[in-house]
Amino acid sequence: MAREAPAPGRLIGVEGSRGADVAAEADALVKRLRARGVDAAISRWDASGLFAELLLGDAADVVLSPRMLALMYATDLVFRLRWEIQPALAHGRVVVAAPYVSTAIGVGIGVGLPEAWLREVLRFAPAAAITRPAKERKPDAGWQPKADRGFGEYCASVLGSTSPGFKRRAARAKAMAWLAEASPKTRRKEIVDGLAGYEHPAGKAEPSARAASQRT
Amino acid sequence: MRNVASHEPLAALVAAHDSKRGLLIAFEGPEGSGKTTQRRLLKTWLQSEGHDVVTSRWASSRLVKPLIKARKRLRVLTAEEYSLLHAIDFRHRLDTVILPALWAGKTVIADRYLFTALARDAARGLELDWLLHMYAPLVWPDLVVYFALDPLDSSRRVAATRAPRFYESGQDVTGLADPLTSYRQFIDRVITEYENLSVIFHFVKVDADQVVYRQHRQVRQIVQAVARRPWPEFSVEAISEWLARHPHLAG
Repeated sequence: MAREAPAPGRLIGVEGSRGADVAAEADALVKRLRARGVDAAISRWDASGLFAELLLGDAADVVLSPRMLALMYATDLVFRLRWEIQPALAHGRVVVAAPYVSTAIGVGIGVGLPEAWLREVLRFAPAAAITRPAKERKPDAGWQPKADRGFGEYCASVLGSTSPGFKRRAARAKAMAWLAEASPKTRRKEIVDGLAGYEHPAGKAEPSARAASQRT
Repeated sequence: MRNVASHEPLAALVAAHDSKRGLLIAFEGPEGSGKTTQRRLLKTWLQSEGHDVVTSRWASSRLVKPLIKARKRLRVLTAEEYSLLHAIDFRHRLDTVILPALWAGKTVIADRYLFTALARDAARGLELDWLLHMYAPLVWPDLVVYFALDPLDSSRRVAATRAPRFYESGQDVTGLADPLTSYRQFIDRVITEYENLSVIFHFVKVDADQVVYRQHRQVRQIVQAVARRPWPEFSVEAISEWLARHPHLAG
């Protein structure tokens, strides 16, 4: 079921519980990689627009469960893999998936889902070659209920209003604990140094892959 | 929020509610097999017998349906996206329509249930194991009525009224330009999957080639014979998870 990450690109997963921290880490990483001559692109959460579009429905219908949210993440990830990540990898680029699989599992565990189920649902996604944890800012705070910030915040936004027992701080703490345990402590410098000499084979991209990689 | 995987006290509550719960009846079968007609007839009959009946159609969630429709129109869905979107729709209906009705003691007739996803998505080449995980934990139907029809008859009946739609005809997997030719090929695979599922999950078969009133009579007899039994363990997990998010119902 898992798709092969096509050579010769490199897939880096940037993982974290807060959307802003994940985005900031991805931006910093790509900036440094580009400064060292590495062709790198970012694939971000909700590239498919599914999360945003769902909130356009009648507010009374926006009753989402943790399982639905995890399935939505998986759907969005299939979209990102198809239109952003895999075409760019096939073109030989470095792709920073921010966030990737671990964030979905960590946040899923935070909102009460079993790890084994999350892993099964997401098993179509190829493993990242490198995983970099985002620096968690405001670690004692709960997720802000702001649906456009990131996956954790989206969950807090919809579960906070529909699931009476949902606790934003406890959920984030649980997600952070899992992510800290699961993510290797790869330093940004190590990643940049390791990829500094990396050159992608030029001119092999198909037009669709080039277009998709430009979107990122 | 409690971990959704551990709801022991709620499981006891679900067991105590067993005698008050409604029945879940699923209608399955290929396009053109007459499920919708039979669902309407059964609903009318059950209501005339004093039952409170709720129906739920496939891919009909008010929240998710517009998203699926828009993406289907663009014809850009992969088999996984198609499958996941339907799983989201299903879970939304389960949470907002099916479970509340069952808990309130109403009879639910589902015009297509999990098995539609299993048959169609397996015919699209996805692994059954992954599909079952996606829909887990599930509320297991008390009865699955399978309206059996052969691929040729299904194609004939569908073609009599309209051209099959892009995903319905499986053009995304067959790659064929003609919807009807594609449908014939695709429905053959779907029916093969249905037949396998019918053995594994003990569907009650109704010959969809019979005239409508004979099928309805048979459906009535099947429904009357359904024995009341406790929720299976698999269902208890799903219901407990749902109750954990609705503490007012759990008392």
